[in-house]
Amino acid sequence: MIEVVIASGKGGVGKTLISAELALRLKELGVKVTAVDADADAPNLHLVLGGAEWRVEEDYYEGWVARIDNIKCVGCGACAEACLYKAIFKDKGTGKYRVNELLCEGCATCSLVCPVKAITRIKVSSGKIRAGTTRVGKVRIAGAKLIPGRPNSGKLVTEVKTLARKLWGNDTEIYIVDAAAGIGCQVIASLAGASAAILVAEPTPASLEDLMRVHRVVKHFGLPAALVVNKAGLSESMEAKIIEYAIKENIDFLGSIPYDDTVPKAVARLSPVTQAYPDSPAAAAVRDVVGKIIERVIKDWDSWRLKHIPANPQPYVPEIIPPSQ
Amino acid sequence: MTVAVTGGKGGTGKSTVAVNLAVALASTGYRVVLADLDVEGCVDHLLLRAELKVVKPIKVPIPFIDYGKCVACGACTSVCDTGALISVRGGKPFLIPRLCSGCGACFHACRFGAIRMGWRVIGEVSAGKARFGDITLTLVSGRLREGEEHVAPAVIAAREEAISLASEESADFLVIDTAAGTGIAVSQALSTADLVLAVTEPTPLGAHDLDAILELTSKLGMRTWVVVNKHGLAPENIVAGVVGRYGVPVVARVPYSDEVVHAYVGGEPLVLREGSVAGQELRALASAVASIASVRGA
Repeated sequence: MIEVVIASGKGGVGKTLISAELALRLKELGVKVTAVDADADAPNLHLVLGGAEWRVEEDYYEGWVARIDNIKCVGCGACAEACLYKAIFKDKGTGKYRVNELLCEGCATCSLVCPVKAITRIKVSSGKIRAGTTRVGKVRIAGAKLIPGRPNSGKLVTEVKTLARKLWGNDTEIYIVDAAAGIGCQVIASLAGASAAILVAEPTPASLEDLMRVHRVVKHFGLPAALVVNKAGLSESMEAKIIEYAIKENIDFLGSIPYDDTVPKAVARLSPVTQAYPDSPAAAAVRDVVGKIIERVIKDWDSWRLKHIPANPQPYVPEIIPPSQ
Repeated sequence: MTVAVTGGKGGTGKSTVAVNLAVALASTGYRVVLADLDVEGCVDHLLLRAELKVVKPIKVPIPFIDYGKCVACGACTSVCDTGALISVRGGKPFLIPRLCSGCGACFHACRFGAIRMGWRVIGEVSAGKARFGDITLTLVSGRLREGEEHVAPAVIAAREEAISLASEESADFLVIDTAAGTGIAVSQALSTADLVLAVTEPTPLGAHDLDAILELTSKLGMRTWVVVNKHGLAPENIVAGVVGRYGVPVVARVPYSDEVVHAYVGGEPLVLREGSVAGQELRALASAVASIASVRGA
């Protein structure tokens, strides 16, 4: 079993495009593939594959929010003072304190500092986790949809992976995990336990910066990595810099997909570009890159993995300052 | 006045809009602070070619246990939601630093004075000036260290630094650029704004994520305007449906063109380019923002 994570740091560079096309091609080739949409804030993978029929859809209760009892509250402000997330405000009308539930992370701190025990925590749904098959290609997919304003939870991503394993673990050779933008908890939870990372970048300074940041996280996990350049042709010099970075870091450069408006146009039609515009330059390049992922990374997994393991994998060591004496 | 730029989906043009709005406002004589609160992917300094200096570390509390005082009562482990403080078979607790969110509940739960709080550095706030001829603006940027997971405290620290710099400089406008997504890191970045600009693109993905961000801003009770970027890429009706449901106006349409893409790769901001159609649209957006600020008297 191989678990491949598609990540980029920056948003909108083509993670979902590569994830969808890769899953679709593997399915066509008869490989037992399961797709995991690990972006609970903006879950879009199923949309690129024409939408999905969800077979399992359940509320996910992991989070808490604080509630202040207006009658008991004496307006002392100890809660607001202690809240790391600045989620508690004084109500100017009543002089009492209120929780903004869209900022509250649900820790117990305010309830512990309240001298009159006016604060309790209640369990709330953070969103839904779901599993089903995509309309285009009938690819098995698991994902989540976070309720806007709830904590982006790495645990939710882990929960989605667990659901995928529970449903299809005995029948899956490859998991394709489409990670969220960024480098925070959702991306870390996506990379935890994975086998390899496929990084996607576009030739812009912003994308190179974010690529280097997400690759640092990939190296913390010691994972081998490959690179796809999307929107090639925007800047030859930036593309050269990205490839140079890949070579220096022992990342396997798989190829480039040209900047071509058939890609966003296919997205607008809820269809993979290789089906909506099969003759476009982008579609040809996507087929080529996906083919290389399958031939080099997946079919030749044991030797590819050894060849592209990072030179110096270093687990992350946080900087900690002890309390002053 | 504080204006936050967000959008849900990545790559819709949040940073392009935020940077151009800030430059356009500065070019008409306003004092502007731009805060890049996309702590997982802060790139506004690259778009503005601004040199930044670290102004302060971003720290969150972390518990240290005094085992001489600890009586193994279990109070701290019972309030630790992240599982960072654990004990084995009723023994004294120990900490897995990676999992600690720094909420401080354990410190408040301990009745024996056995927990003291130290600090964990999760990132840095930087600041500097961006200059284009005689146009100047201040940039504040929050950055999460690679490997750290707890995004909200980093967003809050950078936001507070930007607010204090804006007040120090008597800024007319604080422009906030947020991360992709619709979770708590974004609501923290938006929470102090007077106006939210939601940037989207006319695709089902853009519309899907715009729906989530408009749900968030309507729950937060924030005045919201929609900016359609990549206008002309596809019919706008899919976006119009979402916008209609929330009753928010579309205030600008930035055309889908090579000029926008090339400005992102390394040219000067669109609003400073003579004859740029996209620049013209973004300057008009800045005027619209400035006009409501003058109505408010802020």
